[in-house]
Amino acid sequence: MKIKVFKYGILFFISIALYYLGIDTLFIKDSMVMFSISMLVSFTLYYYIDKAKSGDEIYIRPIAGLQAIEEAVGRSTEMGKSVLFVPGISDINEVETLSGLILLGNVAEMTAQYETSLNVPVSKAIVMEAGRETCKESYLKAGRPDLYYDDMVHYISDDQFAYTAGINGIMLREKPAACFYQGKFYAESLILAETGNSIGAIQVAGTGSVSQIPFFVTACDYTLIGEEFFTASAYLSKKPDLLGSIKGQDIVKLIIMTAMIITVVSHGLFQMEWINCDIMTLFRSN
Amino acid sequence: MFFKRQIPLFIVMFIGLLTFFGHFINQKDIQNFVNNDSTQWFDIIASFAIFLGALNMMKLQILKIIKKQKNWQYSILAVGGFLFAIFAGFFFRGSNYIVLYDIPAQNQSQVATILSEQLQVNTSIIENKIYSSNNGFEIDKVFITKAAAENFLKPTQGLINKYEIKSHPWGPHVNQDGSLFSWMYKKIFTPLSATMFALLAFFVASASYRAFRIRNFEATLLLVAGIILMLGRVPIGELIPWWFVIILYMFGIGALIAPWVKDRKSVFGIVFSGIVIFIVLGQTFGWSENAPAFLQVPAIQAWIFDYPTAAGSRALMIGVALGIIGTTFRIIMGIERSFLGE
Repeated sequence: MKIKVFKYGILFFISIALYYLGIDTLFIKDSMVMFSISMLVSFTLYYYIDKAKSGDEIYIRPIAGLQAIEEAVGRSTEMGKSVLFVPGISDINEVETLSGLILLGNVAEMTAQYETSLNVPVSKAIVMEAGRETCKESYLKAGRPDLYYDDMVHYISDDQFAYTAGINGIMLREKPAACFYQGKFYAESLILAETGNSIGAIQVAGTGSVSQIPFFVTACDYTLIGEEFFTASAYLSKKPDLLGSIKGQDIVKLIIMTAMIITVVSHGLFQMEWINCDIMTLFRSN
Repeated sequence: MFFKRQIPLFIVMFIGLLTFFGHFINQKDIQNFVNNDSTQWFDIIASFAIFLGALNMMKLQILKIIKKQKNWQYSILAVGGFLFAIFAGFFFRGSNYIVLYDIPAQNQSQVATILSEQLQVNTSIIENKIYSSNNGFEIDKVFITKAAAENFLKPTQGLINKYEIKSHPWGPHVNQDGSLFSWMYKKIFTPLSATMFALLAFFVASASYRAFRIRNFEATLLLVAGIILMLGRVPIGELIPWWFVIILYMFGIGALIAPWVKDRKSVFGIVFSGIVIFIVLGQTFGWSENAPAFLQVPAIQAWIFDYPTAAGSRALMIGVALGIIGTTFRIIMGIERSFLGE
């Protein structure tokens, strides 16, 4: 393992050296710190992916929201009702929408196994196509391609509140037993979650929109907060390379916390004129 | 499989790495691609994709009507609305305006009076516009039909030598205030959207009720912080005296120590003596004139908002940012392929 640390360390320094040599000809001078941080994060993530691939066991703490997914689909099956999956109102260029689609794949696999109907209303046509592809593959993987039909992923409207009204209508008419809200949400989050709550559905939400998390926490049974939402794929698939990247993320978080403490202490010492070097200049760019 | 897996994966990795390195490479064409072209490409693709969505929506609704599925009546409204929007946008402009030419000088003030009554504006404004218009005076009103425009001009018959009813060009007609499309947007779509948005206020109330129900320590903390924030942000918050805040503090302390101090009398004694001691202290130090910040509700709410709330939301933001970095890295490196259906 030490050889691997050494190998990735060398690669990191080579990339920084190459950038330094190419400043003003090939690379932008002011972005040097940004590039170094990006490389540090990338190599850390890759190191842990490599480590996990070579057989290291990675532990991920139990995440209640992800464990509840199967419970929710199971409940729908028992009640003979459908499962509603809402992938948010943003387009596929948002990472949160992609994370939502990744989770859709897992949910679709479960609905295929349990023979429960799945309803995925979307607000963007590209998301509809991607969602269909994801569901199709999941049904195939579960060995039930016969249960798949294109219209389980269907378009409602690009407009925020028209989409919300459409989903609320589906909820009130069909009364799904499980509602998943996984993606990017804005003001419609509470309207959806409260309507879901009123019909007594088990609700699992996940979003990266910080301002919407409190609404989901209040109205849903389970909420994937912050990075939990982005770990769903690794957590559910248990693939070593994906789990490795989660471990890498945690190490990056540790590095960030250490850097924050060093920055606060160093800047404090600079302000008290105990040292001459201001660490904050490193983070300023034109 | 090659076209379904490898090619899309190659495109994702290539464009992802190009976009990433585009921020560091000192080359204008690459930077231009990253900042402008690529986003425009996305917009163009998304614009064409809207047809897929619209057709899917129509197909589902029409099938529902044909098969007379449950609640099929609502689908008539959806299909009707869709067709009406297409009609108003692509087939019927409904955006006519009138241009008056050659108004005899002796009739100008009379025409201005009639028009000002119909348009509900000051006569002098219309008069000035008529005087200053050399190439015809355009009436500042849009008519859905030409017949409506003709009707509008009826009172001025015989006072004007020549007039023309024109239509705004295709495209800009949807933005003209008073056109059929604009009418549909402002009178149907906007109120319906506003209604949905207004529901939020009621849902906030019901969600707050659930969140604020005292069940455990965290819910109590949320309730107290919520009340302080609500009071601190309204004018009445400034009127709450310092001694009242002291009483609230002491009640809070009493609630906290109650599980550990079994004797009710002792708890009451601590709370009551605390209130008395602090009020005496306040009177001694003149807090009635100048109360310390921790006894002012607006200052307490500002502190809650600036420190604990900001710290919590920043922690979440860092977690989300790391999650986004991790996911993006996995996608660019081809490790995460679930979105391709794998």
